[in-house]
Parts: sequence; C-alpha cells; structure tokens
Amino acid sequence: MNFKDYYKILGVEPDADKKQIKTAYRKLARKYHPDVSKQDDAEAKFKEVSEAYEVLKDDGKRAEYDDIRQYGAHDQQFQPPPGWQSGRQHGAAGNAQYEGDFSDFFSSVFGGQGGRRNTQSGFAFNERGRDIETDLSIVLEDTLADASKTITFRLPSRGDDGRVTEVTKTLNVKIPSGVSDGERIRLKGQGAEGVGKGAKGDLYLRIRLLPHPLFDVEERNLIITVPLAPWEAALGAKVEVPTLTGKINLTIPGDSQTGQRMRIKGKGLTKKDGFGDLYAVLKVVMPETTDDEIKQHWEQLAEKAGFDPRAQWSNS
Amino acid sequence: MAKPEVHYFSFEDLCDVTELTSHVVIEVVEHGIVEPLGNDPTSWVFDVEMITVTKKAVRLHQDLGIDWTGIALAINLLDEVESLRVENEKLKRRLERFVSE
Repeated sequence: MNFKDYYKILGVEPDADKKQIKTAYRKLARKYHPDVSKQDDAEAKFKEVSEAYEVLKDDGKRAEYDDIRQYGAHDQQFQPPPGWQSGRQHGAAGNAQYEGDFSDFFSSVFGGQGGRRNTQSGFAFNERGRDIETDLSIVLEDTLADASKTITFRLPSRGDDGRVTEVTKTLNVKIPSGVSDGERIRLKGQGAEGVGKGAKGDLYLRIRLLPHPLFDVEERNLIITVPLAPWEAALGAKVEVPTLTGKINLTIPGDSQTGQRMRIKGKGLTKKDGFGDLYAVLKVVMPETTDDEIKQHWEQLAEKAGFDPRAQWSNS
Repeated sequence: MAKPEVHYFSFEDLCDVTELTSHVVIEVVEHGIVEPLGNDPTSWVFDVEMITVTKKAVRLHQDLGIDWTGIALAINLLDEVESLRVENEKLKRRLERFVSE
C-alpha cells in the first residue's frame, strides 16, 4: 500500500500548528466537497483531505503518524514497522458522510476502519445502510413512455470481517414517462446493505437528459432547426420534418426568415396533461458552391430585387 | 425490476428516510432550505427533491461546519450556478446549430 503524506495532502508544513491545519483543511474541504465541486475526482480528494485531517487534528494520532512518517516517509510502498500496533483505542471518526471509507494506509496504522467499529464489540449493532445518489443519463425518446433502463453503480459493502469494500451493482429500473432533466427518482431499499438489523439504504437517481443530435429542449417543448434553401424561404415550401415519433410535413410560408419559429402542436415532450409542442426554427442556408450558370441567375435577381439587407444601418 | 414508489413524504417519513432528528429537519425548514407544503410539522408534505436537498444541507453542515443560514445561502447559490450552467450549455448547443465554424 502507498504511504500517505497527510501534511502534503493538506498542503502544510510538518511543524504546522493546529490552527494552520484546521484552516488548510477547511479550505480544501470546501473546494473538494462532492456537493460543491464539479471535478470528477472531487469525492476521492475530499476523502483524502478528511482522512488527513482526522489524523492531524488529533494529538495522539498525529504523534503516532509522525513516528510512522519518520520510518516510512520516503517509501512509496508502505509497510507498517514490524510489530507495529496502534497504541490507542481511537474514538469514532468525526466525518459522518464518509466514515468507514478511509484508506488501507489509515487502517494499517490506526486499525479498524477509522469509523464506527462494531464487529468485535459483542453488542448487537444495527445501522441503516447508506443511501446512494447517482446520475442516470437517458435519451429524449426514453421519456415518451415508461422506459426500462439498466443501471450500474458502485456501493459500499461490508464483508464478514467488517471491512468495507466497493462493489458494483446492476439494476433494472422503470423510468416513468415524462421525467425531466434534473428530476430525482427514489428507489427504496436499493442502496447499501444495513448492518445487523438495519434497513437497506435507498437509491436516488438524478435524471440527465442527453443532448439530442436534432432536438433541443425548452421546458416541455422541443426545438428543431430546419435548414432552408433561399428560394424555399422566398417562395414557401413543403418540408418533411423529423419529430421524436416520426416525420411530419410542414408548410413553410413564402417570405420566411432565418430565426422564425413555427409551432407544431403536441409534438414535444410528455407532460402531465398531454404533450408539449415542437418548434421549428428556420435557418436559410446557401449552397456551398455556385457554378457560373447559377451565378448569372443570382446576378439577375440582385439587379431586379432591389433589396438592402443592411437598411437598418443607414438609419442609425 | 425496481420501480420508483411514493413520491410524497410526511415529516415523520422524512426524518425516517434521512435518519435525522426532528430538530434538524425543523432547522432546515425554518431556514427555508426546503419548503414543504403545509403550515406545521403535522401537515408538512415533502417530495423526493426535498429529501435530497435536506441530505445535502446536512452533509454541508457537518462536513464544512457551516451554520444553517450559511447553508441556506450556499444551497441557493449552488442551485443558481447549476441552473445557469445547464442553461448555458443549452444555449451554446442551440447557437452552434446557427453559427457555422
């Protein structure tokens, strides 16, 4: 196992006083708290920082750690000194959310799990399993009707020896129709196992709608960008437009503009009382290349149309 | 297949599923961190979102040592950052559909 330099983790000198340690911890805890940080490794960093503080804030643990550090600070691969035994019975860790999650290094130095230890206590001990919160990404099509999704997530599991390890769990979940981005779903009893007679924790899923290649979401409405040739915009056209449930024909009126929105009723996302709408946003596009013959047509058009697209500039 | 169930929770249910004392839950409600329907604890009704917000509030309170007023402010600001981030991503995607490289 790797040696952990708790001073380095908190960014303090080995002779730092308690106040400096506390300040450094608070700053890093705020930075890496999984409820605050968007960083992928925030939770791991937060645990590391909490573990470092757990040791360094306590005079007894710090003294023990300093001894160990003298012995093994320069070895990446840490082995406790022969015959090493933690001299103290340490109390419960203070960190409610992550206790029991400390590293192997911590356990080898301070024994137990660094958190609530109960397996040797001889008393019946019941504790509810931890709740798990995780994101579930789904596509827009999944929201139209009740959908079945297979999810895989990590959860802590306590072995017979009381050690906590992470296991992977796979679960089939029914996602009710009409869910929206950010909505939370609770699945009772699908979290971590309890201890003793403690109930299982729950699983909270946060729905994430994956970006769609064609449709954008605005509340319960969808938006699709419809590219048009300049002549389609000028003369009007019938255009086949995809929706989430199949294609429909849309009549584009003449003299249409880029950015103009057309409402297609009931082709949006599911909502409580029916469906939202689909908005077609028009976008006039030019051909990538123009041959000489076409250029001549444009020239004729330019002469006859007498259109000044920048008329507004001359007014200001 | 696991199916989501009950969407609404009483005060007692909330204390139960979050393993919090009624005292803590009352603090969270009194600071407006979650706003249940109903005027007093016996008639309070919470939804799933409120459960996760309550749990988050308690985590921040315990892990970072922030008082409840600070938590209320932090959660408001975190929510605002989150919704601005989501809106920003959506607008960026919509803009990309209009602007060519």
